[in-house]
Amino acid sequence: MSVPVIYSPHYQLYNFGPRHPFSPVRLEMLLDLLEHLGHPAQFVEPSQATREEVRSVHLESFVRRVEAAGRGERTPDFDHYGIGTADTPIFAGMDEAARWLVGGTLTAARMISTGKAKEVLQLGGGLHHAQKDLASGFCIYNDLSVAIRHLTDQGLRVAYLDIDVHHGDGVQWIHYDEPGVLTFSIHESGRYLYPGTGYIHEIGKAEGTGRKLNIPLEPFTEDDSYLEVLQMGLEPALRWFRPDAMVIQCGADAHYLDPLAEILLTTRVYTKIFPLLRQYVADFSGGNAVYTLGGGYSLDATSRIWAILYLTLQDLPLPDHLPEPWLRRWGTQLGHLLTHTLLDPEGSYSEIPRKPEIERRNRHVTERMLEAVRPYWN
Amino acid sequence: MLVKDVMKSPVLTVDVSVTLEAAYQIMLQRNIRHIPVTREGRLAGMITDRDIRLATSPFAAGGARPIETPVGQAMTQPVITGDPLDPVEEAARVMRQRKIGALPILDGEELVGIVTGIDLLDALLRLTGVQKPSGRLEVCLDDRPGELARLSGELARHNINIHSMLTYPSGEATVTTVVRIGTLDVRKLAHDLRQQGYDVRWPPQISGKSL
Repeated sequence: MSVPVIYSPHYQLYNFGPRHPFSPVRLEMLLDLLEHLGHPAQFVEPSQATREEVRSVHLESFVRRVEAAGRGERTPDFDHYGIGTADTPIFAGMDEAARWLVGGTLTAARMISTGKAKEVLQLGGGLHHAQKDLASGFCIYNDLSVAIRHLTDQGLRVAYLDIDVHHGDGVQWIHYDEPGVLTFSIHESGRYLYPGTGYIHEIGKAEGTGRKLNIPLEPFTEDDSYLEVLQMGLEPALRWFRPDAMVIQCGADAHYLDPLAEILLTTRVYTKIFPLLRQYVADFSGGNAVYTLGGGYSLDATSRIWAILYLTLQDLPLPDHLPEPWLRRWGTQLGHLLTHTLLDPEGSYSEIPRKPEIERRNRHVTERMLEAVRPYWN
Repeated sequence: MLVKDVMKSPVLTVDVSVTLEAAYQIMLQRNIRHIPVTREGRLAGMITDRDIRLATSPFAAGGARPIETPVGQAMTQPVITGDPLDPVEEAARVMRQRKIGALPILDGEELVGIVTGIDLLDALLRLTGVQKPSGRLEVCLDDRPGELARLSGELARHNINIHSMLTYPSGEATVTTVVRIGTLDVRKLAHDLRQQGYDVRWPPQISGKSL
C-alpha cells in the first residue's frame, strides 16, 4: 500500500519573496523531479487549518497580529512577535498561507488518528521554530505542534523527531512540560548555529522532564558520525517511550551544500536515515508517522534529499542518474550546474582534519544527554 | 547591570546571640550557606556553613558547642560589603579577590540585600545567554573608536536585531565581538561583511557552499 501524500498548490502562497531562502522553488523542483523519474505523485488535498486550530497552540494576541500584518496593517509591536523581521518579513495574506501549511500537517495527523492511514507524507510544513507567541526563523505558525496537539487530544502519545540542522526549539518549548510528548532534535550545536538552544540539559520541566532530548552536533560532522549518534540516542528513547504515533520533521539542511549551516551530510546518508526511521516507526510506534518537510536551502541538495524521502516511503527504487531534461531545465533556471546523480559523489568536499575529534565529541555529548534523561525514565 | 538588579532582598539575618545549632538549622531549612549576623539591628558579621563546621570540628582547638556557642563567637568580622549601585563586575571582583562566597549589600547603614556566587552566575547567564532565538556572529575588530558603530550600522542596514553583544580584547590591537542576532541566515550577512573587509570569525567560510 502506498503512503498517502498531502499537498496543495496553496502551499506556494507561503512566499517571503524572491530573495528569501525559504523558497517555494524547492517544492516545484521536487515535484518536477518525481514526474521526470516516472513517479508523478498523487495528492490528498488538505483542508486549510481554521483559526481555532491554529489557536490550539498559538496565543490570540499573536494570531491577531499575523492576520493584521497579512492585511497590510501595521502596529508598532510587530517586532516583539517576530513579525516583519529579516527572517519572517510581512507578505500579503501571510495568515492564510501559513494556515494552509498547518492544515496539511493537521490533515496528515487526522488520517492517522482516524485510522485512515499509518504513514503519511506532508509535502510542506515543518515550521519548527514558531513559538506560541513568536514568528521566528522563517516560521509563522507551528504546523508540527498543531498536529501533535491534535494527536494528544485524541489520547495518543507522540514522539517528535527533528532532523533539521537547526534545533526544533518551537516544538520543544510548546510541549516542554507535557508528559505525552517526547521531542528529539539532532542539530548543529546552538553554540554555533541558530536558534542558539538545543543543549543536552534542556530535558523538559514538570511532568515533561526527561522527555525532551537534544543532540547538539559539532560543526563539520559527517555522515558516519551523524548516523552513529542518531541511532545511539534515538533508539533507546523510542524503545522506552513507545509512542502511538511519530511526527518527523525531515529538514534537508544538514547537507554539505547547504548555505545556512556547517554540517556535512551527503545524500548517501539519507538513503540510510529514512529507511532507519521507517524501521523505528514500524518497531516502536505501531507503524504510525507523519513525515513533513522543513529547512533546506541548497536547491540542488534539498530536491534530491526529499526525492529520496519520497521514493523510500513509496518503496520505489532509487535511480542512479537524474533525468537529463530535469537537470537541463533547472540548471538553466538556477544558472549553475546541478549534481547529476541522486547520490553525491565521493570526495565532494575537502577532508576534515578534526574528524576523529568530532566523532569522539558527538559520541560523548550523546552519552551525556542519555545520562541526563535516563533517571526520569521509569 | 548593577548589584541591585541581581541581589536577593529582603535578607534573612540572625542576632549575634543565636546559637550555632539554630543558625545551622536555618541554613538547612532555607537551603542557604550564608547568613549576615546583626547586633542591635546593625550588621556585625557573617556566619557561613563552613564557619560552623570548622568551629565545631573535633579538630578545632577549644571546639565550640553547637547548642551553647553563639554565632557571635564563630562569625567572620569585620564584613566586606557592597553597595546596591556597584556594577556586578565590581561585586564579582571583590568576591574573587577576597575569596568569599557572599557579599551583604548596605545602603548607608541599612542591610538591603545579599549577593552570592550563584547570583553572579545568574547575571552571567543573563549577559551572555540566549533569551531569544538567535544566530551567532563573531567578528574581530580593530581596537579603535567607531569600529563597533560601523558593525552595528551594517546590522541595522540588513534589518537585523541585536539580542546581545559581547566584546573582549583578543590581540595586540584587536577585540573580538560576539553578537547574537535575530536571524537564521547569518552566512549571507557574513559574506557581505567579508566583502567589505571585516574579519569574520564565525560563521566560517566553507568552499563549495552556495550562497
